[in-house]
Amino acid sequence: MKWGVTGLILLPSAGFACALPPSVILTLPTGHYIAAAAAVVAATALLGAAAHRMPELRSYEVARGVDRFPFAVTTYLAFVGFLGLVLVGVWGPTDPMHNLLTLIFWTGVWIALPLASMVLGNLWAGISPWVAPVRMVRVLLGRRGSVGLARFGHWPAVAGLFGFSWFQMVGMVPDDPRVLAQAALIYWVVVFVAAVAEGEDWLQQGEFLTVLFGMIARIAPLWRDRAGGVVRWQVGLPGAQIVRMAALSASEVAFVTLALAGLTFDGLSETFFWLALIGENPLEFTGRSAVQGVNSVGLIGVWAVTVAAVLGALRLGRALGGGFAVGPVVLSFLAIAAGYHAAHYLVMLLTAGQFTLSALNDPLFRGDAWLGLPPFYVSFGFLSVGWVVTSVYAAQFVAILGAHVLAVVLALRLAGPSRAVAHLPLTALMVGYTVLGLWLLSTARGI
Amino acid sequence: MTTNDLTGQGPSRRMVLTGMGAGLLASAAMPAVVWAQGAPIKLGFQLHRTGIGAAYGHWYERTAQAALKVVNDAGGIAGRPVEIIFEDDGTDPARGAEVVDKLVNQHGVDMVFGPLFSHVVMGSAPRAGELKVPYLVCSEGYHVASGALNRWTLQPGITDVRSQIASMAPWVAANLGKKVTMVYPDYAFGYDHRDFFTAAIAAQGGEVIAQIAIPPTETTFTRYLPQIPAETEVLYHVMVGPAVLTFVKELGEFYGTGPKPQLFGFIDSLEAVDFATPGLEFLEGTHFWEAHNRVKQADAGEFETAYRAAVGVDDNGASVSDAADVATYSHMFSVWETLFVIKAGIEASGYAGPADRQKFVEALEAMTDMPLSAEHPQGAKRFNGKTHQVFGVQNISQVQGGKLMRVHQTTIEDGLYDDAVDYTTMAF
Repeated sequence: MKWGVTGLILLPSAGFACALPPSVILTLPTGHYIAAAAAVVAATALLGAAAHRMPELRSYEVARGVDRFPFAVTTYLAFVGFLGLVLVGVWGPTDPMHNLLTLIFWTGVWIALPLASMVLGNLWAGISPWVAPVRMVRVLLGRRGSVGLARFGHWPAVAGLFGFSWFQMVGMVPDDPRVLAQAALIYWVVVFVAAVAEGEDWLQQGEFLTVLFGMIARIAPLWRDRAGGVVRWQVGLPGAQIVRMAALSASEVAFVTLALAGLTFDGLSETFFWLALIGENPLEFTGRSAVQGVNSVGLIGVWAVTVAAVLGALRLGRALGGGFAVGPVVLSFLAIAAGYHAAHYLVMLLTAGQFTLSALNDPLFRGDAWLGLPPFYVSFGFLSVGWVVTSVYAAQFVAILGAHVLAVVLALRLAGPSRAVAHLPLTALMVGYTVLGLWLLSTARGI
Repeated sequence: MTTNDLTGQGPSRRMVLTGMGAGLLASAAMPAVVWAQGAPIKLGFQLHRTGIGAAYGHWYERTAQAALKVVNDAGGIAGRPVEIIFEDDGTDPARGAEVVDKLVNQHGVDMVFGPLFSHVVMGSAPRAGELKVPYLVCSEGYHVASGALNRWTLQPGITDVRSQIASMAPWVAANLGKKVTMVYPDYAFGYDHRDFFTAAIAAQGGEVIAQIAIPPTETTFTRYLPQIPAETEVLYHVMVGPAVLTFVKELGEFYGTGPKPQLFGFIDSLEAVDFATPGLEFLEGTHFWEAHNRVKQADAGEFETAYRAAVGVDDNGASVSDAADVATYSHMFSVWETLFVIKAGIEASGYAGPADRQKFVEALEAMTDMPLSAEHPQGAKRFNGKTHQVFGVQNISQVQGGKLMRVHQTTIEDGLYDDAVDYTTMAF
């Protein structure tokens, strides 16, 4: 009775309207913020290109000592923790906001950890749940060789990031603890088998979380270099690590552009603009099941546009008399990826993060206070308080603007000898990206 | 340590003991059902935890937990402890049907309740019908009473939107004016208001002189406001979504300090929103429909007080822990009241397990008056077993000093209409 179902849904009986809360941000003068940010990014690029002098971006060693937290130990503990969380995912509460797997992964690993890594350097390296198991199993098997996965460069990580982005933005139930546990376990096993076959170092190019978090952490002003059981603590301006990186390979460029596109599409797909484009009423969104096809196309489309825009701007730059080799210059986009990640997920951290705190404080839901917090109700009320909304937007503004100014500075450093005018295309792209990023955070959103 | 201890999902020791105690008491009278005592009644809650309904889901869960605690503290249902299993449906109709399936077939629940969004209800109810499981919705949609659903789907906890809208007309016509201009979003929700109110005000000798439908993706309204006829006495507005604050702000700028019509709206526009939010000053003195008064009124009795305390809502309708966290107060009582209807239905039908599901539905269909009580804190209700729809009192509140104060309460009779269906004649 297909006609019957269609007929019923078209009945004018949608008694309940909409739970999208009125948005304070739509009443704020965000257009002024956006114009100012665009002007600052443009001015930075123009002044930098004209001056031919950029900050040195040196790094300084501030301390050196024995590695008291060797990765073999910390990643083993992380592995045990991972297994525990998978069990919680499978056997724990089905409500995603009461399940520590869902909460710790989506707010802890996916948001809080990268945010912390942007300040403190790469923290994922010490808690990757693969390192110790891979090392142990290779030792046990007496395995030293590889199977040649390295020749695929970072493409396995690109595939992993694409699959993950699709799961997150288009998949039906990314929050469902059972589904998340299954997906995590399957992915862990696949990567584990590959890394046992190829070697532990392959994780640096084949495992997308390792690649992504490693890249984002490169903007940190504080980091650690490890070698031979010795840890050297370094400080430097944001970007000091990036200018020392090797030029990116084609697969790494694909990875960086996909990371940018994923964040962009995650924001875009919720906007009234996108929903109108795909013929969805944002006030009566019919749910993920109705938009899986079109959002799959959207994700790929945004990636294609991102690649075309970045490579196009660089080619134009070369045509106008600049160096602008792709490999080094795309490194500057790492700053943008980091800034977008921080700005985009800030509100989710402040909302879903409360569930995480609550669940960590009382993991068995019987009134405990393991973190010493008094019992509290999760509350999103701050999202309708004017000064809070303004402050949150200001923080996002700082993250986006700071990221783009840093990207401009890095691009000026990494572009090689160039005429000033050759910087125009990339500068235009970065101004456009600044505007897009801030607009995504301030426009009307559904879902 | 059992799995239940690990996950915290199982009944607490006290719950089980309470259930066992009640079972012992009951065993003297009904030795035949002793085996069932103590085994928990499992209720599935279809929760809009994520997706467009998340803001409501948040409060619906809180209300359900509060009601559950009250039920279990008082000995459970029919002497058995009660568990609620929450499953997120993503506010998605396709997933909603899967959630119903999962709750019934994997979790083995006795019945399912709690969904709010109409399109999700429409997508999920057929599955409940196929599984022959009682499906109690809290959605205020007219879809139940219209006859669009099935014998297993009932709405015993909240009045539907047709009744809500129609019951407003007498007071609006008598107190605000008879020439009404309606501003509404251009989709099904807006059409309900347009159609039901236009008919209801005509019955009062009034007239809708202009219907201004606004595309749902609009975020600025300045070009629509000049379409409001100058002779308008009442502006009936039901805008919803992120742009509501912009709408109110622009409306204020449009009228400035000059004369303006009376404003009448539905709290759906500003449910869970603090009236102290900047930009809402223009609504001072205007009127809103509320099913349940967000602000505790001077005449509130013990039931209202107990309900607020149990859910953790202060006198202004906000969370006791955060004054900015305003509850979805006009809707969430439906979860509370539905749980107590389930309790009454189970106890009246002698429901002992899934084999008795049909008896449970028949017991609900036999229900009529539900007095104002701890179980029905929003007000007295009258259930229509034929249409599977409950009817109740409605409130009209005025914004006074930034607070919604009741100026009128309708009677149940104000919201009654002719039956469009008799579900009791349908097969199970």
